[in-house]
Amino acid sequence: MVTKEEVKHLSWLSRFDLSDEELSKYTAQIEQIISYLDKLDSMPLENVEPVKAKKNLADLRNDQATNFAGEVLGTKYRKDGFVKAPRMV
Amino acid sequence: MQTKIGLEIHCQLTGLKSKLFCSCGTDYRGKEPNSNVCPTCLGLPGTLPLLNKKAVEFASMISLALDCRVPEEIMFYRKNYFYPDLPKNFQLTQYNAYGITSIGVDGSLQYGDDKVARIRRVQLEEDPGRVVYESGSMEKSLYALVDYNRAGIPLVEIVTEPDFSDPKDVRLFLNKITSIVEHLGVCDTKLEGSVRCDVNVSVQGGLRVEIKNVGSFSEAEKAVRYEIARQKTMVSRNIEVKAETRHWDDARKITKESRSKEEEQDYRYFPEPDIPAITLGKDFVLSLKPSMPELPDARKERFISALGLSPHVAQVLIENKELADFFELTIKLYNSPKEVANWIVTDLISFVDEKDREGGNLLAGLKVGPEHIAELARMVEQNTVNRTMAKQILGQVVRTGEMPSVVARKSQATRIADSSVIADAVEAVFKAEQSAVADARQNPNAANFLLGKVMQLTKGRADPKTALELINKKLRETT
Amino acid sequence: MQSLYRLGVAEVVQGVTSREFSAEEYIHQLLERIERVEPKINAFITVSKSSIDQARIIDRKIRDGEKVGPLAGVVVAIKDNICTKGMRTTCASKMLDDYVPPYDATVVDRLQQAGAIVIGKTNMDEFGMGSTTEFSRHGATRNPWDINKVPGGSSGGSAASVAALECTVSLGSDTGGSVRCPASFCSVVGFKPTYGLVSRYGLVSYANSLEQIGPLGKTVSDVASVMNVIAGFDEKDNTTAAGRPSYSVDKRPLRVGLVKEFVEGADEQVSKIISNSLDVFAKVGCQCEETSVASVQYALPSYYTIATAEASSNLARYDNIRYGFDMNPEGYEWNTYFSKARSNFGEEVKRRIITGSYVLSSGYYGKYYLKAQQARSILIRDLKSLFKKYDVLVGPTMPILPFNMGEKVDNPLTMYLVDVDTVVANLTGIPAISVPAGFARNGMPVGLQIMADAFCEQTLIDAASMFETEAKVQRSPEL
Repeated sequence: MVTKEEVKHLSWLSRFDLSDEELSKYTAQIEQIISYLDKLDSMPLENVEPVKAKKNLADLRNDQATNFAGEVLGTKYRKDGFVKAPRMV
Repeated sequence: MQTKIGLEIHCQLTGLKSKLFCSCGTDYRGKEPNSNVCPTCLGLPGTLPLLNKKAVEFASMISLALDCRVPEEIMFYRKNYFYPDLPKNFQLTQYNAYGITSIGVDGSLQYGDDKVARIRRVQLEEDPGRVVYESGSMEKSLYALVDYNRAGIPLVEIVTEPDFSDPKDVRLFLNKITSIVEHLGVCDTKLEGSVRCDVNVSVQGGLRVEIKNVGSFSEAEKAVRYEIARQKTMVSRNIEVKAETRHWDDARKITKESRSKEEEQDYRYFPEPDIPAITLGKDFVLSLKPSMPELPDARKERFISALGLSPHVAQVLIENKELADFFELTIKLYNSPKEVANWIVTDLISFVDEKDREGGNLLAGLKVGPEHIAELARMVEQNTVNRTMAKQILGQVVRTGEMPSVVARKSQATRIADSSVIADAVEAVFKAEQSAVADARQNPNAANFLLGKVMQLTKGRADPKTALELINKKLRETT
Repeated sequence: MQSLYRLGVAEVVQGVTSREFSAEEYIHQLLERIERVEPKINAFITVSKSSIDQARIIDRKIRDGEKVGPLAGVVVAIKDNICTKGMRTTCASKMLDDYVPPYDATVVDRLQQAGAIVIGKTNMDEFGMGSTTEFSRHGATRNPWDINKVPGGSSGGSAASVAALECTVSLGSDTGGSVRCPASFCSVVGFKPTYGLVSRYGLVSYANSLEQIGPLGKTVSDVASVMNVIAGFDEKDNTTAAGRPSYSVDKRPLRVGLVKEFVEGADEQVSKIISNSLDVFAKVGCQCEETSVASVQYALPSYYTIATAEASSNLARYDNIRYGFDMNPEGYEWNTYFSKARSNFGEEVKRRIITGSYVLSSGYYGKYYLKAQQARSILIRDLKSLFKKYDVLVGPTMPILPFNMGEKVDNPLTMYLVDVDTVVANLTGIPAISVPAGFARNGMPVGLQIMADAFCEQTLIDAASMFETEAKVQRSPEL
């Protein structure tokens, strides 16, 4: 059972500002989706490893430095090269 | 339950040329804000992390130096939380769960004389950017300023078990860590912000409090002391010490309640899908070990067994790689390890001021090189100067950078050898210091006090030998 | 004048390089076509005027006898979640309203190197989350076969632009069927390559471990030509496999297995057309039979667990501080600013992010995410054994016919269920293609899905091409 409190906390973790109406709607919909995902519970698991891709250490990037040419930041809210951000109260 | 302290130590891998997941340089200090960035370290949509091979090797070396197990396969995880200095709003790090391990696990490190702390894990991760305020204070600013030059700098986090109870031990342990990463050549600990430390503190009757934002190792000990005192006061007044995260206020030297942020249970760790599991293989550790630089413990052992140093002197030397290197360079110029080591450990260090000592910057403020100490040791052992003189010479050497022989010659040239001049000085001192004279008659050792006065009067130019002879003679005469 | 906009890849390259017509003439015809049909279809978010300049460069090179690539003059529409340097890339989201990437995706770079011209960016469900292209900030795309029906999604604009003859070919991305679903609904060919065959560098991540960029075209031969240019190892994507493959179109008898579970769950008209398609394979000498993969029942819950989990983390970076849309951060407290900015995500995206956060929550990780990854392993194992018996597996791409716009927008789970046949290829990483198989009584297209073993794209292309030649269903809608 997905509760409204859970969805409220998760929406804070996702930084969404939800109205009470939205919260109720999402809670009902997510409850429905999660119940569907619960189908995984009926899967016979045996000793199955989760899937994962692999790569050898030797194939990783070598430690070489290069500069990226061009402007990377998109925001116009800048000051002396810094990016302006909201205050961390 | 007594006081328990655990540490989370962060070391930047400044020995690398490029960031952990992109090719931007690691040399970000002093650069224009946001000039050391690329689409990847800024987390622009569509970019993918490209793990730095050498970073894995460096982190493995640290793990091995801390006696950790290095697994055959490593993986990266996402730690999800929002923060304006975190370009992706998750940090790429490592994690131990579901049979997957970080680069180092279950180690231990001996420090101080015979103390041991267990290492829970060593993990490789990325540094976030930096947030500053224009007026230096958040309260007065309308906005924060972010510089992402540091974002993506490779970090190794060393997590200990809560095996400390004395803040002094924390300091000793951190010194040992500093020496290890310096010896490995992976981290220049003298660079500002290259080593940081979060501390966990709990006292009897309270819960665990985590203190973040401790900007240097020397601050760590202070933060621990403050926090223990704070918590003990609370317990003694029956105020509950809750589990929380606090911030170290560097300016006011106190810990403060932290702003609302995600806590451990909110991080939603899961494996980074864009970085495959990295196979290190069975032989990786075997092939890495021989290529590792000599570690402090091995060096200490060599200093004792091959060079005949005392364990204490050897310990002081290896605690600071710069000092140990200085010692080894000096004995290449003048091969008398014990004499050289004593000059470094007892005399040279006494000239280091408090601030440099705290920062581990022992030799930076002194104008002295191995050639100075080598020459001084030779002069003493060849009896060109006596030890007292040699110490005075060293005092001048560290200020001016002149060679000891030059200093000695200069002082020789101005020396008063004329015994009649010295006799006048002795006469004057005997008149002025009558009670000391009486004292000296009872106790021959007190003659040294009178010698000091004579030297003072002659501004150190009197030949001490002649002066002492005259003093003793006069003491006998008047008996 | 000849209707150049109807041409396929080979004819365009032939015509342009032999100077039968110029790339400039061709692009002008397409731009006129776009102007004419876009009011009805809305396949594009951005149409590039500089594409004319690119065409002129190709023409000049050909006039000067310079070498041009294998796609000289071919006009490509790019899904708006694939980064194009200097050209706005919005993912159909308000969150990236002003985002202009400073770099090209590897696929875009390779296409341009090969002489292809980017004509614009196509409409999609916001961040790829949807199966109808209704969840777009730029309005829904309509199905060229009936503008009251959905074109499928999330690469609806890419499929519709090919069907409506607004480009030669297009690129989409396929996380759970996002290329094949609209290909099926719009009666074009849509290709999802093996995971790791095509670089994802520059593809804005929705669910990294599942998605691949894939081409859409009027014919199998057209998508094969694009694959020859975009497929192969990329040092910028650690998940790409070694090698640069090249494909041809061959005919050979294959062993074809019809997946029972896919046909049984489908609309009756769809089932009938797909069952008939076996006769087409049989006619060209293929050995056909019905087979079963019981574990596909876990595919959809596994898919939605992994996709939402990865998405919840991937989309955290959109906090509007470094790039995004115009919203001044001055005066805001950071959590308030983040929440306010991020409320501009569409409803479906928010729903998936919260769902993804749920399945990754501490305590639920083992119940959902880990199990979903285990389900993938089981599916991979089961399909692997089937591919010993069959060269290709076939079934309907979509279990239902294109439906009316607005029909499913208010019921997320019903919407998710339409992906039941396509997600299998994403979970297992295998290649899959949708080719036009016929039309229902209401004139709506039905697509045949063909799947092959990992990295067996040649087999897939052979099977699809044989079917296409024999079934003769390829045609364009009247607009």
